[in-house]
Formats: sequence, structure tokens, C-alpha cells
Amino acid sequence: MGLDYQLVLWNKHKKTYDKIIVASMLLYIILFATITLIFNSETSIETLVIRAFGSLAIIMLHVILIIGPLARLNTNVLPILYNRRHLGVSMFIAALIHGGFSMFQFHALGDVNPIYSLFTSNMEYGSLTNFPFQVLGFFALLILFFMASTSHDFFLGNLSAKVWKRLHMMVYFAYALIIAHVFLGAFQQETSLFTIGILVIGFITVASLHLITAFKERKIDRTKTIKKEGWLVVCNISEIEEDRAKIFTVENERVAIFKYDGKLSAIHNVCKHQGGPLGEGKIIDGCITCPWHGYQYLPSNGQSPAPFTEKVSTYELKLEGETVYINPKAFKEGTEVKPCKF
Amino acid sequence: MTSGQRKAHKYIWLLLLIIVPVIMLFSIKDLDLFSSGTNTASQLSGSKKMSLKTSENDIIKVAVFESHVEIILKTTLKNSSSVVYEMDKKGNKSNVIGQLTTAGIYNFNINNLPKGIIIYDAIKQVEITKFSL
Repeated sequence: MGLDYQLVLWNKHKKTYDKIIVASMLLYIILFATITLIFNSETSIETLVIRAFGSLAIIMLHVILIIGPLARLNTNVLPILYNRRHLGVSMFIAALIHGGFSMFQFHALGDVNPIYSLFTSNMEYGSLTNFPFQVLGFFALLILFFMASTSHDFFLGNLSAKVWKRLHMMVYFAYALIIAHVFLGAFQQETSLFTIGILVIGFITVASLHLITAFKERKIDRTKTIKKEGWLVVCNISEIEEDRAKIFTVENERVAIFKYDGKLSAIHNVCKHQGGPLGEGKIIDGCITCPWHGYQYLPSNGQSPAPFTEKVSTYELKLEGETVYINPKAFKEGTEVKPCKF
Repeated sequence: MTSGQRKAHKYIWLLLLIIVPVIMLFSIKDLDLFSSGTNTASQLSGSKKMSLKTSENDIIKVAVFESHVEIILKTTLKNSSSVVYEMDKKGNKSNVIGQLTTAGIYNFNINNLPKGIIIYDAIKQVEITKFSL
């Protein structure tokens, strides 16, 4: 939404979240190192770094992957969603340290190119339990690198939201590669029911939350609508919270119907930035604010406040008694529609 | 998200729900998850052939044959590096025989009968175990 790209749009909340991220990462590394040195003083510093940052990256990836579905199930999680990109970049840094030290320890001390060594030091590609698991980690790190390096809005603007979203959905592929990397690597060498159990529970949690959300969303899409003289019945006005929205499906498109200052307005639910669900955001300073990255739109015309230029479709609403109705025909993006007063 | 992206998310997670547990299952099915973690290879019998020399301590069991040496590593070592050296007459390490990783049976080719075996952590540069044959 910025006219000029800045490295990071800092605000007080972002700074607080970033401090929490850094402090949590440091605390984990210190705890991991302390426990490791108490129980296994033979561990070399390289091995300690590889294990500490590898496990940290996996924990962070799980947290990142559950933020999206949790935010849809519980709006209290939305502020964390706002800062998810920084968490993602921090996770990539942890994964890079893990990968970098692994590369150095296992492949950089010989007389062949470390990348060549990575792919050829173990050629048992036909085996499952002896599979060269480091290759899986390498490809996962490559995906995370592309994601972290294109996380800024500069790339979003230049790649287009569709391409950018496709690229960033590769995180699910990276997640599968990382699970395989750990199960075919670390777990083959140091078998522990505890660590295997933790990762299995982690996967079940992440997959369940995503699928619960997916089926909940499908339910919204399949909600049967009642037509009355060309208008669709949405809900009772009391079902919409103040400064929040009710998401309603109109001819396969989702619409967010916002209630604010004694008025109702409806706009298309998909944010122009990264396709965020505007209906899961709230009205801040008179503007509909996307829960993902804070892009804003005026409720009456779906336009971003000047000098910004994003705009979404608007819809006409009417109120009969306490029942809210919507005209299913969308207006052109940015069209002014008189809010429905109550 | 648009309706297409929502569908894509759903199908990706349904696919992962099938693929990831299969990877997990196949990768751990042969692992001994319920052992105490010590002496995991103590029950390994090794070669049935007659050896020229044998020796054993808490960590390894070594059997020397005409052209190879068989080492049974009883438990996975905590050291990052475990290189097997031949011991010379003075009790120092000479030729590298091979490298150990996890608990199990290892067979390494040899040219001469070694005086002994030294297992050495080449990263920390410390001797893990040593004995004469």
C-alpha cells in the first residue's frame, strides 16, 4: 500500500513483536545449549549449533503454520498474524544457520565443492532409511530462501498477488520436505520416542487445524441463501459485532458486511494486497483494516484512503426490521454506496 | 483468499495428510523405539567364521580375519566423529581403517594384521577407546 517502498514499516506493535521473537529465540538457544552440555558434554560446538538451530527452526515453522488457521478460528490470534512475516524471516535465519553449519561440518572440509558433496556423498537415493536426507533439507531451505527474500511488498507488487501467493504456498511443500529430512536423518541416528512423538503431534496439530478451517470455510461457501424480490437474506443485525463483519457468500464470491457507527456497508471480502480476508478484520480509524497486513479500505466505497489506490467491489444493503438484505449484484470496484443506517 | 486458493489449501492439506504419515511410518518402522538406548548392538553376533584374534570392551567387540576386521559397535557413541585407526608397535595410531557412526556391525578391509585398535574423535582430537589385540 506504500507509495515508496521502505525496508520495514515499523510501528510500536511490530517492534514489540520483534523483540518477543528475538528474546524467545535466544532463550531457546540458551536453554538447548545448557541442557545439552549438562547431559552430553561430549557434544562439539558445531553439533550443538546444528541441533539447536535446526530444532528451533522446526518449532518456529509449526508456530507459523498454525497462526493462519488459528486466526480464522479465534480472532484474538489476529495480531500475531499481522506479524507473521517477521516470524517467517526469523525462522529462515534459524534454518540457514542450521544448514550453513551442517554444510560446513559435513561437506566444506573436503576437496570437492560442498554443494556437489551434498548431492554425491551419499548416493543411496533408492533407499528409504539410508536416503540422503540432507538433500531434502537443502531443497526446503531453498524454498524458505525464496519465500524470505520475496516477503517484502516490493516483490508482491512486482510479481503480482497471484504469483506471490503461489510461491508462498510452497511452504507446505517445504514443510513436508523438512518432516522427511528429520525422520530420514536425525531420527535414524538418534532414535527417541519423545522427539518422534513431539513431531508427530506437531504434524497432527498443524494438519488438523488447516483441515478444520478448510471444512469450516466450505460450510460458509455452501450456506443456502433465501431470496426475496432479488435481495438475499444475510442475517439478523444483532449477529454482527460492532466494528466487525459478517462474511456472506454471494454467487460464489465472499462479501464482508461491516457494522459500525450505526451503519452497515458491504465490500468484497478479498484484500487486494495478498488476498487476506477483509471480513475477519475490523474497523480501525473509520477504515476496514485487513487482518493480515493492515491494508485499509473505506467501508462506503471500498477504496483505500488517499494517497493509496487499491479498491474492491461494493454491494448494496437494506434493512427490514432487524433483517439485513444484500443485493447480489456487485458494483464496480471503488463505487460509492450509501451505507445502510439503523 | 479467493475461492480457488481456499480449494488449493484444502487439497494440499488432504494430500499432506496422506503423504507425510506414510513417510513417518516407513522411516520409523525398523527403528528400535523402546530400547533403553544402551548396548543396542550387544546382541549382534557378527561373523560365524573363525577369527584370528578377538577382543572386547564395553564399547566395541573386534574380530580380526585374514583380510578384514569386524567391529561391533555396541552403542552409538556421543562423539561427533569416531575414526578407527590401526595401532602401531608403540601404541600410537597409524593407518585409518574406517569410520563408525551408529551402533551396528562394521567390516573394514585390512592389509596387515593390526597390533591393536584405536577409536579416535578427530574433531575434538581425543581418544575414545583403545586396546591391543
